[in-house]
Amino acid sequence: MTHIPGLRRYFRLPRLSGGRVKEDVDSELQFHLEMRTRELAASGMTPEAARKEALRQFGDLDYTKRYCRDLDERQDAHERREAWLDALRQDTRYAWRQLGRSPGFTTVAVLTLALGIGANTAIFTAVDGVLLRPLPYAEADRLVALWQHNRAEGGKRDDVSPANFLDWRSRSRTFENIAAAEPFGFDYMGPEGPETFRVWLVSDGFFRIMRTPALVGRTFADEEYTAGREQVVVLGYGLWQRRFGGDSSVVGRTLVLDGQPRTVVGVMPPEFNFPTDFAEPKEMWAPRVFNERERQIRGGAYLTVAGRLGPGSTLEHARTEMSSIASELSAEYPATNTDIGALVVPLHEQMVGHVRPALLVLLGAVAFVLLIACANVANLLLARASHREQEFAVRAALGAGRGRVVRQLITESLILALLGAAAGVLLAHWGVQGIRALSPPNLPRVDELAIDGRVLGFALGISFLTALLFGMAPALRAARPDLHEGLKAGGRSATGSGRKRLRNLIVISEVALATVLLVGAGLLVRSFESLLRVDRGYRSENVLAINVFTWDRYSTPELRTAFMEESLDRIAALPGVLSAGAASALPLADPYGAEDADVTIEGQAAPPRGQEPSVQLTVVTSEYFKVLDIALKRGRLLTRTDDSRAAPVALINETMARRFWPAEDAVGRKFTVRFMGRPVTREVIGVVADVRRVGLDEPPRPSVYVPHPQSPTGSMAFVVRTNSDPLAMLPAVKESIWSLNKTLPIYSTATLEGLLSESLKERRFNLLLLACFAVTALSLAAVGVYGLMSHATNERTQEIGLRLALGARSADILTLVLRHGALLTLSGVAAGVALAAALTRVLSSMLFGVTSSDLPTFLAVIVTVIAVAGVACYLPARRAVRIDPMVALRTE
Amino acid sequence: MGRTSLDLLQGTLDVLILKTLSWAPMHGYGVSQWIRQRTDGVLGIEDAALYQALHRLSRKGFVEAEWGLSDNNRKAKYYQLTKEGRRQLRAETSTWRLYAEAIFKVLETA
Repeated sequence: MTHIPGLRRYFRLPRLSGGRVKEDVDSELQFHLEMRTRELAASGMTPEAARKEALRQFGDLDYTKRYCRDLDERQDAHERREAWLDALRQDTRYAWRQLGRSPGFTTVAVLTLALGIGANTAIFTAVDGVLLRPLPYAEADRLVALWQHNRAEGGKRDDVSPANFLDWRSRSRTFENIAAAEPFGFDYMGPEGPETFRVWLVSDGFFRIMRTPALVGRTFADEEYTAGREQVVVLGYGLWQRRFGGDSSVVGRTLVLDGQPRTVVGVMPPEFNFPTDFAEPKEMWAPRVFNERERQIRGGAYLTVAGRLGPGSTLEHARTEMSSIASELSAEYPATNTDIGALVVPLHEQMVGHVRPALLVLLGAVAFVLLIACANVANLLLARASHREQEFAVRAALGAGRGRVVRQLITESLILALLGAAAGVLLAHWGVQGIRALSPPNLPRVDELAIDGRVLGFALGISFLTALLFGMAPALRAARPDLHEGLKAGGRSATGSGRKRLRNLIVISEVALATVLLVGAGLLVRSFESLLRVDRGYRSENVLAINVFTWDRYSTPELRTAFMEESLDRIAALPGVLSAGAASALPLADPYGAEDADVTIEGQAAPPRGQEPSVQLTVVTSEYFKVLDIALKRGRLLTRTDDSRAAPVALINETMARRFWPAEDAVGRKFTVRFMGRPVTREVIGVVADVRRVGLDEPPRPSVYVPHPQSPTGSMAFVVRTNSDPLAMLPAVKESIWSLNKTLPIYSTATLEGLLSESLKERRFNLLLLACFAVTALSLAAVGVYGLMSHATNERTQEIGLRLALGARSADILTLVLRHGALLTLSGVAAGVALAAALTRVLSSMLFGVTSSDLPTFLAVIVTVIAVAGVACYLPARRAVRIDPMVALRTE
Repeated sequence: MGRTSLDLLQGTLDVLILKTLSWAPMHGYGVSQWIRQRTDGVLGIEDAALYQALHRLSRKGFVEAEWGLSDNNRKAKYYQLTKEGRRQLRAETSTWRLYAEAIFKVLETA
């Protein structure tokens, strides 16, 4: 018997492979049968008879074969699994020991990875929550938004007119249903004074399209969309919590809204916030009923329309159908519909499309950070590997296979990555909170952001990926150790030139990637700067803005004018108030308050119908320009005597003067503008400075200011300039408004500074995040350069010592070391600049006042990177100079 | 060498194999011969059942199999007890003893 029992067990020799089990069982049983046959033959049987008898005695041979094979195969699989787990346990234990043995290395590596993985996880949370996740409605991918678009005005997206909506609905077949919604406000006399609830008036089918049942109570019944039955409302979750304490018994209660009793029939769940990208979220829904007159309105477009694709129809079907319906309507109603087309946009695209480019840029940037982190850790591992050469050589000499060593190193990498991921998720948790706090108002769904299973899965996924990325190079290099060299050199200074090249390459890439991110961040900083330098045309400091809605309290133009003048006088008389005025739309406020109006210029050829130039029209009181400090360029400002009895007048901005009267003085000229359905010919009495109204990055458009007494709209915003903190004056201002009418609701309040800052929030958000990533990237790259240089200097200690002993001066040594560093840095910067020049084009939509190849930005970045890398090289170089030649040589 | 009517109780074969292997590692044929000789062939153990039991015991971890060379220089699969197998044998033996004593007590009082 030559076998050694238990040998396999002790040395974990591989078991049989799957296919060999059959052979194994067969030959075992064959042996038995042969032995038995021989035994029987020995007792006198003929060989033939002996074989038969042996088989008979054995019993069911086929069944036994199957039975044994089955058992053996299972046993085999089990043992392979065990062996695998066993090796894993062994590797893990060993890796822990190795990592624990160099806590400095482990800490740096884990922190580096935590930064990379954490930043990626945080941004992924945002991208996932905002872009990837379906909207919180059943089969949300079937939901679309529908818009009119005016081909004459360059295909500008527009709301939908009632008559068009009704025709779309009755003629289309590709939709399960379409529904309209209109923003509205209900005044409500609450315990804390009058307020206005923001409401969506929705047409029948709206809730069916959204397929969202009420949280409490119900949504509207079909018959409640008919005149006389529509006195019902559904509450939004936020309003329900805020105003009614989340009390379910509010369902069935009657609220007096706009002076009318309305019954609350239901409350919607918190995630139901359709539609969110249009102005502020609404808090209430009420049925929208179209009366006979309204059903004929085709010119005025003010409905938001959404639809659900019917079963079997695609977006393409819907688009084709809608464009042919739009053509039919153009033919039937040429007066209003000649250039009106229909746009079908997926609802998800509608809500998040505008933030996608910026989020993807951030995702790309943060991926760069992760790459740099990986590069750093890879370099650390390579440096470590050169110290561990001896260990690998010994293991290989003892018979460890190449695979086993690689596997060992990958296990170490994985453990590092997982530790990094754990710390990274913690960082990401804070990061997500930061994102939520910083997020611009138009970043939809941001309140829903949270780290959940999906995000954790992502973090786990990228940590595996990073482990592969940073662990692969060192592992592969370790897989072909030069046994002889490793053992002979005693583990010291045995670094091959290949490994050095690899490490240099890694550091160069780090510097390059950091350069790209810095250029990106630099361009955003420059854009932000030029944005702040833009001449806004008004002064925003210490101005309070208060929206009021006077239509139903003051039903005639005279009453509205009187109220406005009286309340302005009272506010202006308050101590601490410098001046007070009002306007129908404020700079950088809700863009939906701005009114567009068509103009025709007297004495100039009228353009073809439908192509009249359009201007921004603002109704103002005479004090407005003083309050906002808008400069008068020519002519005179408005006075209170420009009232309904006086001749119609207007102020225009400089852009308008240049556009329509390029060669002459606009003052004294006349033009006709349509406002509130009535065309009025007005005389230009003055030209004022351009004001950035839609956004600082939007060039000013031609603007007309008309005096409130001549166009007494009921939607006005008070602007109050104070001599100190404007918000401190808010209660006093409110009181003076309410002293005239204690039921007048204040729609919203703000400061002009606040509006300004709000309008910059999106840019600030992108800028801060990208800058954050760029600084992180640069720091990591600097650490990478420093690490490489220190390591290289350490390896050359003896050489430097020898040079010093032979009479080299400090400066020579410094040059020697710095030359290496400079070569790395300059290569990295050069590669980075080339890469940045190719990549920054993706930023162009986020830039303002600079081009994506802005020279000052590139120069500043180059100087910064070189300076930082210079410091990172200088520290090890200085250490090299201080080497004591005697000590260095003695260690040989 | 006719078969007797004595049917083996469930698990009896297993304990016999374990006992057999407690002397030395053996191949399947060896185990078969050994049991035949000890029991004078009273327990007509079918070889099929023996091999099934051997593989079952191996799957349970009570025995371990290893290829080796037989006395006549042929490749044969040898089985030997593992530590768990030894423990199992001890446990089974005492169970069997108790069982047999109980049966004897009943039979002798009759």
